[in-house]
Amino acid sequence: MESLRSGIYQTFILDHNYKYFLNGIKITLIVTLFALVLGLILGVLVAIIRSAHDQQPENKRGILLRVLNLFCKVYLTVIRGTPMMVQLLIMWFVVWASARATDGNMIRCAVLSFGINSGAYVAEIVRSGIMSIDKGQMEAGRSLGLSYVKTMRFIVIPQAFKNVLPALGNELITLLKETSIVTVIGLKDLTKGAMIIQANTYQAMVPYLAIAAIYLAMVMLLSWLLGVMERRMRKSDIR
Amino acid sequence: MIYVKDLSKTFGDNQVLSHIDAHISPGEKVVIVGPSGSGKSTFLRCLNLLEQPTSGSITFDGQEITAPHADVNKIRQHMGMVFQHFNLFANLTVKKNIMLAPVQLKLMTNEQAEEEAMRLLRLVNLEDKADVYPIQLSGGQKQRIAIVRSLAMKPEVMLFDEPTSALDPEMVGEVLELMKRLAVDGMTMVVVTHEMGFAREVATRVLFMDGGVIKEENTPQEFFEHPRDPRLQEFLSKVL
Repeated sequence: MESLRSGIYQTFILDHNYKYFLNGIKITLIVTLFALVLGLILGVLVAIIRSAHDQQPENKRGILLRVLNLFCKVYLTVIRGTPMMVQLLIMWFVVWASARATDGNMIRCAVLSFGINSGAYVAEIVRSGIMSIDKGQMEAGRSLGLSYVKTMRFIVIPQAFKNVLPALGNELITLLKETSIVTVIGLKDLTKGAMIIQANTYQAMVPYLAIAAIYLAMVMLLSWLLGVMERRMRKSDIR
Repeated sequence: MIYVKDLSKTFGDNQVLSHIDAHISPGEKVVIVGPSGSGKSTFLRCLNLLEQPTSGSITFDGQEITAPHADVNKIRQHMGMVFQHFNLFANLTVKKNIMLAPVQLKLMTNEQAEEEAMRLLRLVNLEDKADVYPIQLSGGQKQRIAIVRSLAMKPEVMLFDEPTSALDPEMVGEVLELMKRLAVDGMTMVVVTHEMGFAREVATRVLFMDGGVIKEENTPQEFFEHPRDPRLQEFLSKVL
């Protein structure tokens, strides 16, 4: 009991150690949020290119579409075929080798890496959503004279998005937890904070249990938000 | 208005349409009948290029729409299409379904489109459904809304692809009634259907398709009372 109390004291109070947690949460959330936005943009773009390519009859595919599709396929293969941590290490120590090791640089590097990584998974999720929409929706839009892009934007994507929201939520939760590997480039996120406290105080149990609880709380909050969003989007399904 | 010349369509090795020639004049109501798999739906879908013809040409208002650089979207604005499965936009309310294309294609302002949507909904007695989603409607209601959604674009011709085939029997009447009103108002119509009564009553010309060719075409009276083609005689003996 005494050791637990001193563990808590050393983890949070001593030397204002709680600041490691607060700053850590901030950095974890910043990386997750911006990576999510980047991943969504990339993912939706890739999904549209891939499904535009697959839906077009072979003789009507333009050269540009073929090149873009090939590019997307390479992107998906490489990103999904290599570990996230390796991608992050390459991004930081190879691509950004000349950058100074400031927090700002590391955050930008992490956002880029996680965004690019997440985009590959989001792309396949969104593509599965697009394919789940009845062909008739696209045909109806086109028969009214709407272009492919407009029909996608106003009809297909909104419905696809609603269908894949649970899977996207899953991806977001994975992304949030996976940001913990930014520790390998030295970015002081939540996990790194706990590691620093362990190194300073020789306490392991309290800091690690604490960040586990913090991650869990963040994930639960996210799940709740996603649930609210899903219910709002199900409006058009109520008979 | 629409000239079809030597139109063929193949899916892989399967020749669905072979060397079809047809002509549809303004104001005509052409009904296409035939057994399933005869290519009648494919023919209709070729007219607004939902299916890309393998060979042959289609000319609409003097413009060859099968030409490589024809502006397909522009052409489709003038050809309404009604589908067997309605295909109302599931994510939009009834009113928004009707307003989407005119507003997005900048043919109307939001206010004009809304006014037009309400006028059309009153025309089919569904103005109370303006703000509901398609899933809450019956099949007959969906199809009537799908028809007025096309009308909102003020098309020169309306294509109907088996508009009543997916409906409960008791809802067929309300859809046919609306189509008859359109016909009386002078709309040019091309209708693929199994409703022989409609063909007899409304059509100015009936086409019989079988095996990817037009086997016979005639006025409804001649078509139903004195069919010449043996395959048509057999078909009519089964469906009438």
